[in-house]
Amino acid sequence: MLVAILIFTGLALIYGLLLGYAAIKFKVEGNPLAEQINKELPQTQCGQCNYPGCKPYAEAVANDEAEVNQCIPGGTEVMIKISEITHREPKEMSAVAEDKPAVKIVALIDEDACIGCLHCIKACPVDAIVGSIKLMHTVITDECTGCDLCAPACPVDCIEMIPVEENLQTWAWQKPKTSPVVTPVDQFLQQEKTC
Amino acid sequence: MLDWILKLISLIYPMAKRGLKKFNGGIFPKSHKDLSNHHPIVKTIMPKELALPLKQHIGIAVEPLVVVGEKVLKNQLIANTEDTSLHAPIHAPTSGTISAIEQRQLPHSSGLTGLCIIITTDGLELEIENALKIPNKVPTEPNTLKNIIYKAGIVGMGGAGFPTFAKIPNEKNKVKTIIINGAECEPFITCDDLIMQTYAKQIISGANIVANALGCNKIICGIEDNKQQAIKKMRQAVNNEKITIKSIPTIYPIGGEKQLIQEILGIEIPAGSHALNSGILVMNVSTVRAIYQAVIEGKPLTSRIVTISGTGLKKPYNTEAMLGTAFIDLIKFAKPKMKLNYRLIQGGPMMGFEVQTNQVPITKTTNCILANTPQKKTATMPCIRCGECMDACPINLLPQQLYWYSKSQEFEKTEKLNLFDCIECGCCSYVCPSNIPLVQYYRFAKAEVKKNKSEQKATSLAKLRYENKLARQEKLKVEKANRLKAKKEAIKQKSLADKDKNITATSSTPPMSAREKALAAAKKRTQQANQITPDKASPAKATPTKAATTAIAAAKKRAALKKIKQQTPNKDTIEDSKPDNRKKAIEAEKKRAALIKTKKSQE
Repeated sequence: MLVAILIFTGLALIYGLLLGYAAIKFKVEGNPLAEQINKELPQTQCGQCNYPGCKPYAEAVANDEAEVNQCIPGGTEVMIKISEITHREPKEMSAVAEDKPAVKIVALIDEDACIGCLHCIKACPVDAIVGSIKLMHTVITDECTGCDLCAPACPVDCIEMIPVEENLQTWAWQKPKTSPVVTPVDQFLQQEKTC
Repeated sequence: MLDWILKLISLIYPMAKRGLKKFNGGIFPKSHKDLSNHHPIVKTIMPKELALPLKQHIGIAVEPLVVVGEKVLKNQLIANTEDTSLHAPIHAPTSGTISAIEQRQLPHSSGLTGLCIIITTDGLELEIENALKIPNKVPTEPNTLKNIIYKAGIVGMGGAGFPTFAKIPNEKNKVKTIIINGAECEPFITCDDLIMQTYAKQIISGANIVANALGCNKIICGIEDNKQQAIKKMRQAVNNEKITIKSIPTIYPIGGEKQLIQEILGIEIPAGSHALNSGILVMNVSTVRAIYQAVIEGKPLTSRIVTISGTGLKKPYNTEAMLGTAFIDLIKFAKPKMKLNYRLIQGGPMMGFEVQTNQVPITKTTNCILANTPQKKTATMPCIRCGECMDACPINLLPQQLYWYSKSQEFEKTEKLNLFDCIECGCCSYVCPSNIPLVQYYRFAKAEVKKNKSEQKATSLAKLRYENKLARQEKLKVEKANRLKAKKEAIKQKSLADKDKNITATSSTPPMSAREKALAAAKKRTQQANQITPDKASPAKATPTKAATTAIAAAKKRAALKKIKQQTPNKDTIEDSKPDNRKKAIEAEKKRAALIKTKKSQE
């Protein structure tokens, strides 16, 4: 009896220490759920979700502070992914991006009208605009996420969002159209009917 | 003996001929080569206009070095770039005037347009002799040869269009075997056949030049056994023991690089590896001839042999066509049987593609123009899992599995099944009894995988940049706070010192007066601020709600869209009004800045 108690106390102690050590040694930095959600977000950093960027929104969702349907550029697709990760009920999108273009858009600064005020540079979440005070600004097209935060910041309204033109590098094969299947039996039956 | 037995069996079961070669699968389509391989190469046709796309190769587009209206001579360099990315320069195929540099439709399945240099020919053929300024010496080092090949703008002329100089290693003796690809397994195409029949000597000496420069002692030229004439001519032209001409069985796709290596050397190049890693350099016969012309004659690549063939033509032929000649110009000479109201095909029937208009030009990679009268399309039927495609696949893939996963868009699984090793040869589609366009599905899957990868890259870049920006802002904040703190400290120290001075200098004045004054002033300021803030704060707090900003954003977007729609009523007026707008805007901005300043100073 005593031996059994001793053995089990000993085991409990050893496992307790092991678990305690593991908790310190393999501690997970940050919220893994937030990381997972952040991976699914489109990373446009547009702020349309009422959070200042994709990561803050991901954290808010992970902490149950935000709804799953606030990522407007991501749309329903991302919403479903988030709800899968968080095991929450999918919700209808609260707001749909108005006239959301099917193709990728990027900002374009009308260089003649730009007065070099720096406002758009401050607004850009990904530092995709270069320029200096009182000098012309321009957009680094490859790095622009198309978040549309710079356009309202511009005092002279010289920023336009334009769709990215398709070129030989971006052109891709489409999925073959599945034509309605006509089997020889169908053909035969059709012939029978017409006769 | 075995060959003989296999041939006998193939009378009953045609696919038994697959046993004749070393790689898996393959098919035996009707060759149709006799349509065009008897006639000698037709003299170059001089079109009125040449359209030279700035990107005829794998890599980046080159930039024009000529301007509209400029006169150019044959072989003159007209486009190149200083960029170090992969590219190949372009030369004028004949003399004439640059009439435009504009967007034209390219010979590409997308039908997209690209920048082209348009030359209006003068028919005089004024030529620059030795345009590449080749010294009268055969290159003995790989780098000299590479330089000549680069300058001549030579690309892989079998169809891939990979700049040849980039294929050649820098070190001597790295290449152990050079394989000259004369297989030409696609039906209808006979341009390589005709080159071998007509320019066998040039090909052999071209191969020797490459072998000498690379320090390689073994050249094998593989030619399909349905081109007996070419094999004969090539054997006659051989002048040393380095070169062997090998007759290989006729089977599609034996002309694929990896298939040819497997057939000739019995080596299978591993997935993801390149033939060069195994010490093998494969070159097309046309490419080798182009190298000969560049090294010996100093001629850049400005023309190529093209097959004009197809069931819709009365007189199919081969010609040395200038790059930039429109398809339609060449087709006219072949006497189409019916009006050309159908689309032409660039390349062979297996791997070629339909061009969107018949006006597109010949490029460095156009080996064949095919005019096949349109056939009735057979209906696609469901996959019956017969496994024919698996037996036909020359690289041992699982076409059926790839098809299912591509169709259901499970691209990760297609990647695991080595989708990217697929050479899109079309054997699977050819044998499919249900007429499923299998290759189309693989192309789609490949495109999607590539797109997803580039998107992932873009989002991770955006994330990184956003995080960097946040970190920078944080750093700036801390720095600012530190600066302020330091300043305050300095003022404090100063005032303390002043106070000490005051005390020692004038004891008559009441002590702490300066501090009291400052305190009083501060109090007054805070009171004032408190009075102002309630009025000011409420609107200030109301504005930055995100819903409002989104609304503004949406509104702006709409406005921008409207602007696009209403754009270009009159360009001149816009340009006239622009400077005014700009001035006004600057004025307004200045005013705004002044207002903000005054407000701040009041506070």
